[in-house]
Amino acid sequence: MAGLTLELLGMQLLTGIALGSIYALLALGLCLIFGMLGVVNFAHGAFFMVGAFLGVYFLGLTGNFLFSILLVPIVTGAIGLVTERFLIRPLYGRGIDYPLLLTFGLSYVLIEIMRVSFGIEGLPSITPDSLKGSMNVGIGYFPKYRIFLIAVTALIILGIWFFIQKTRYGLIIKAGSRDPEIVKVLGVDVAKVWLLVFGIGTAIAGLSGILASPTRSVNPEMGIPILAESFVVTVVGGMGSPIGAVVAGLLVGVVYSLTSLFAPALAELSIFVLMAVVLLIRPQGLFGKSGFMS
Amino acid sequence: MSAANITPILEAQHVSMQFGKFKALSDVSTSFQTGSLTAIIGPNGAGKSTFFNVLSGAFPPSEGKILFNGVDITHQKPYEFARIGISKSFQITNVFKQLSVHENVRVATQMQVSRFNFLKDARSLLSTIESADELLERVGLHQLGHKKSGDLAHGQQRALEIAMALACKPSLLLLDEPTAGMSPEETLVMMDLIRTLATERTVILVEHKMKLIMGLCNRIIVLHHGEFLAEGTPNEIQNNAEVRRVYLGQG
Amino acid sequence: MQAIFQLISTHRVLATTLFLMVFPWLMPYEALAINILIFGLFAMGFNLLFGYMGLLSFGHAAFLGMGSYITGISIVSFGMPWGAAILFGVIAAAFGGLVIGFLAIRTRGIYFSMVTLALGQIVYYGFYKAEKLTGGENGLRGVKVDPFNIFGFKVDFLNPLIKYYIILFFVVIAIWLVSRILKSPLGAVMEAIRENEKRVSACGYNVAQTKLLVFILSAAICGLAGSLRALHLSIVPIDSLHYLQSGQAVMMSILGGMGTFFGPFVGAAVMLYLEDVVTSFTKHWMAVVGLIFIFFVLFFPKGIWGSILEYLRVQKGTPK
Repeated sequence: MAGLTLELLGMQLLTGIALGSIYALLALGLCLIFGMLGVVNFAHGAFFMVGAFLGVYFLGLTGNFLFSILLVPIVTGAIGLVTERFLIRPLYGRGIDYPLLLTFGLSYVLIEIMRVSFGIEGLPSITPDSLKGSMNVGIGYFPKYRIFLIAVTALIILGIWFFIQKTRYGLIIKAGSRDPEIVKVLGVDVAKVWLLVFGIGTAIAGLSGILASPTRSVNPEMGIPILAESFVVTVVGGMGSPIGAVVAGLLVGVVYSLTSLFAPALAELSIFVLMAVVLLIRPQGLFGKSGFMS
Repeated sequence: MSAANITPILEAQHVSMQFGKFKALSDVSTSFQTGSLTAIIGPNGAGKSTFFNVLSGAFPPSEGKILFNGVDITHQKPYEFARIGISKSFQITNVFKQLSVHENVRVATQMQVSRFNFLKDARSLLSTIESADELLERVGLHQLGHKKSGDLAHGQQRALEIAMALACKPSLLLLDEPTAGMSPEETLVMMDLIRTLATERTVILVEHKMKLIMGLCNRIIVLHHGEFLAEGTPNEIQNNAEVRRVYLGQG
Repeated sequence: MQAIFQLISTHRVLATTLFLMVFPWLMPYEALAINILIFGLFAMGFNLLFGYMGLLSFGHAAFLGMGSYITGISIVSFGMPWGAAILFGVIAAAFGGLVIGFLAIRTRGIYFSMVTLALGQIVYYGFYKAEKLTGGENGLRGVKVDPFNIFGFKVDFLNPLIKYYIILFFVVIAIWLVSRILKSPLGAVMEAIRENEKRVSACGYNVAQTKLLVFILSAAICGLAGSLRALHLSIVPIDSLHYLQSGQAVMMSILGGMGTFFGPFVGAAVMLYLEDVVTSFTKHWMAVVGLIFIFFVLFFPKGIWGSILEYLRVQKGTPK
């Protein structure tokens, strides 16, 4: 293959890791919601999209990226809290499909709200000035923003891990996802935990959105393929497994990136084929537990 | 006592069951003779339900084997267990709540006749309907055929479960706490039913109502902390010092 | 009132056929009636799997789309007669059902919904990229049916009313098939699986095999809807394969009443008629649909027809 060098491969790998970081973060949010509430958030892609729009909007308004990164998850988290409290909670006890269906309907509403607020064309994406341009990573010049992206998502994921593993609240969340009864015995209101976790999940989705916004076009439909892609990551990683979400997220990003290099027309298809292969030989996913279901 | 060279209908060999870090069963070995009516008992947490699930094919043990008439069936799927003649009722009532009582049993009897046929009218399969009627009569539910099974009283739902379990014409019937949640009257009815059923096939029960077991079974197996503790006739078990110590006031 | 419903219920295929024969005159224009036929069939095929068996697939657009594309490609690229093209479309969709079903059934519960959505997207991207055959982003064009003769009677597909009745012919056959399936032993097992899979297994049924069979039947019916749609539109839009199209089947089923015979058609009719009306005075149809759907999920999960049936059942005081 003419022009293929180790450097080119390395750069493409790095691009894949940057893409995969977003996937990992998204899938982690999805996993937390599923692990704790047993709900697959079909509005996850929509929250991602809302995060991207709000991110561009706040950045345009304040010129402060850090501020925007802090504000966006608060807003999408708040929308999530309202959603759980008034739309999803009434559905508990009804049947596993109902919350899923509701979030699907919600995604339609969120998409339309963004269309009305920001126009059907979307907004031009903004890269913060300090992160524009490229930097030397040894094997070549790589966009500064993507390095930032990898670093920041790694930090966030570590932070989430720390929160779950080491804090009291995290313990409750971990315990609750295994046995809501135990949590009740501990004197904690399970409903509050569900509320909180759903909010955290949508906050993460929004955060992924703003972090991804400089790397792609920001339009109301951007969350639609993202939903499918987060499902791919979840299936590959294993449902309910946070480690699986992160590892699979990075893997899927890399697979996409490398396929773009060798067979660009097949890039989107490649990650779905990966998922199909995993389904065939290990249906529970890389880190999922065998035989566990619904 | 049966002669040593008659193959037991069901045998558990060195069965262990591990759930993550928790060992629910440790090296349990025992066998069940054809035609016997055995109860598995033990204090809470003894592993009775887990053992029941392994014996009935709900999941395979982490270690060990299950033999049916001498044949290793350890890793067969639940539906395969049913097809070879091992039938069970569940601890938590497991009927098709939205379907009528008659439809519930008919789904079970249909299995024997016609599984994949999607063009024939189910109502024309007279043999399945007759079998369903017969089974409902056996368990005393023939008057309630048209009622939605979700609307039945608890004891009636359990009777329905037994009717469904009988539909696969089992040579071995496993019942998980068949009288759980029943009133004294319902319990007596169920006991009579089990007694009759036991004359035609091998029955294994999980129970903890001791008075019930004493009057019903000809053999008892005692589990404790996932291990095999003792076995014998009701009298032998009642007088077993270890069993008394373990139960101490329970029963 | 009760007696009428009882009569309709017993002769449901006949009742539906008679109603559908006069349906074009109830609608403002024929194309809407045809759309309702096609999507009613789509929802009906989907409902077999979801309403009756409890498996929520978000990938059924793959079968609608496969039916459309294979029928279209048969005509456009291979010059086949339209009857054969429909057959190929249905077979292709059934085969798709076999492959996707086989992979998806290895999973259960909510996982199933995620997996079917993602598998459906494989079909979407696959057809998208196969530009030479499918037209890619622009869709497949030129699916034409030339006028032909039946018993000396000239049948011109360009006449909307004639087109409606030809499509109705196939739809009625499919409705009859669905009715038979539901009344058959398989139908009983399907509903039992929805209620309690473990119990069905304990009775000796190979539940996985049964699910796969129903998946294939469901896919074939949705494929037929797709084949008919290709002939109706003369084009096949690429979005036929997208999961949002699958979502439409889900919404129609919930709206109309899942697990009921007439529900899917009621849902399709209501949704498409509403879309026709609403889009004439606003472009925010997506929000309207989303809100209506949320409303039904929260307050009317049984759907329009399902709620009516429930009301009658309560009135009568019998279980089923």
